[in-house]
Amino acid sequence: MLKVQNLTKKFAGKNALRGVSFEVKRGEIYGLLGHNGAGKSTTLGIILSMVAAESGEVFIGGVSVLKKPQEALCKVGSIFEAPAFYDYMSGWDNLKVLVGLSGRFEKEAAMDVVERVDLTDRIHSKVGAYSHGMRQRLALAQALLPEPEILLLDEPTDGLDPEGIKWFRDFILGLRKERGMTVLFNSHLLSEVEQMCDRVAIIRAGELVYEGAVDELRDDRPGVRLQAKPSKILRGVVCDFGGQKLGEDRWVFPEGTEIPDVVRSLIERGAEVSEVTPVRRSLEDVYLEHSSLSKP
Amino acid sequence: MMFLRQLQGELKKLFARKRTYIGYVVFLIFEALLLSLWIYVGREQFEDLAKRNFIPVELLSSSLTATYWIMGFSMFLLGSIYFALVAGDIVAKETEDGNMRMVLSRPVSRLRILVLKYCAVIIYTVTFVIFVGLTGYGMALFAMGSEGGLFVWNPEMYILAVYPDRDEAFQRLFTGACFMGLSMCVVTSLGFFFSCLKIKPAAASVMALSVFFIDFVLQNIPFLANHKDVFITFRMANWIYVLQENVPWERIVESYSILMGLCVTLFILGWMVFQSRDFKT
Repeated sequence: MLKVQNLTKKFAGKNALRGVSFEVKRGEIYGLLGHNGAGKSTTLGIILSMVAAESGEVFIGGVSVLKKPQEALCKVGSIFEAPAFYDYMSGWDNLKVLVGLSGRFEKEAAMDVVERVDLTDRIHSKVGAYSHGMRQRLALAQALLPEPEILLLDEPTDGLDPEGIKWFRDFILGLRKERGMTVLFNSHLLSEVEQMCDRVAIIRAGELVYEGAVDELRDDRPGVRLQAKPSKILRGVVCDFGGQKLGEDRWVFPEGTEIPDVVRSLIERGAEVSEVTPVRRSLEDVYLEHSSLSKP
Repeated sequence: MMFLRQLQGELKKLFARKRTYIGYVVFLIFEALLLSLWIYVGREQFEDLAKRNFIPVELLSSSLTATYWIMGFSMFLLGSIYFALVAGDIVAKETEDGNMRMVLSRPVSRLRILVLKYCAVIIYTVTFVIFVGLTGYGMALFAMGSEGGLFVWNPEMYILAVYPDRDEAFQRLFTGACFMGLSMCVVTSLGFFFSCLKIKPAAASVMALSVFFIDFVLQNIPFLANHKDVFITFRMANWIYVLQENVPWERIVESYSILMGLCVTLFILGWMVFQSRDFKT
């Protein structure tokens, strides 16, 4: 459904994207992860033809965004972090103006979508009086008109309260279930990605450093919270077993490592072990590892 | 049809904003003020002037003549501020507020977006000038009655004309207002061009007004009097030739061709800049 091939982009001579490629299959929810400035929004900007790529290609439903942007964008609905509407107009008028740019504004279809996003009571109020959650639901309504095949969501749950986040997540999952909607989800909320996405890509400094299924990302390497003194012996043993630091007193070892063997080795070398607790590597650990924020 | 629907949306955005109406309100107040000054201060002096020059008093002190003075005095200096303000906002404000990303994510070309916005500000400009003319005339009618023709006097453009026939006078003045509206499109185009650049909306308006006023000042410098033809503001003032007894159509066509060429050039330059821009948070 969406194919991104070898995208490169420079801002003021600095590489913002370096050969980013990935593919989102029809009906899939795909997460794009990365810390601020990693290149997620630039990627989305190029997909939406708002940012010009230095090189590379983007295809939406087989149509090149670079060569036929209007035709390609017919299939797309998008939501941005903190969506900007015309605050001095009603939600309904905002929908009319924005959807009108895509073609005909169908009143019945619009009413149906407004009802689905639960904005019927306030749709004729000025957007300036909307809460953040209501603005996000209006953004969702405009993205769903007229009938997109793929939704591009740029940090859509940013600033929403837990209730709003859950509502949004359930809505997107419902769309996929009902209509087989394809979704590209750009977020730094790992729990959201974990709960919603089928596959994820991690971008670091403009490069794609990981791509795979969420389940694959959450690996089964043995992790342990380990406290022992002196720390010199602890570091030596961990190193001998090929372990890596996950965080404060948390370590991960290569697959097949037996934690009792590690503990035995510590005791044999004269260390005083005060805590051994098995821990499971979270998506966050893997994300931080890939995006180089942790210090192994 | 789709273009017209989209233009309707663009006009809705423009006219739903309160600041769009600042100009209308200020002009209504200004017209009322000018008219009061005309009636209570200027009328007597003009009637004296008319008598001394053997001009029928009812010509000089008529609602149509008052309308001519109101439009002529106010539009260039005061009107230009509102045209620059609205046109300077039209692209830059949406970019600044983030609305432009919502618009650009739609399957519509950047050229079309700009054409829609340009059409909207041009409609605003022309209708604004006609609004000022009609409301000025309406107020003058209310205060001075419908009697009398039109007396036109503009020493800088070497025009002195008298139209005792009311219908002809009205027709001439209305045509003049339409041409004045076209002239003011140049200020609007300047504002629009600067609005397409990567600058704040206020900066776009200030830049447009700066260019306009610099041109106006240069045009009025005595040692440049023989080169007036090269200044935009002189060409813009050519609307007044419609009120000359024998209308110099060649000169009008020449000036308006230059002005329209300038508008098209400014639009194309603005489009080229807008097309090459990246829109990102």
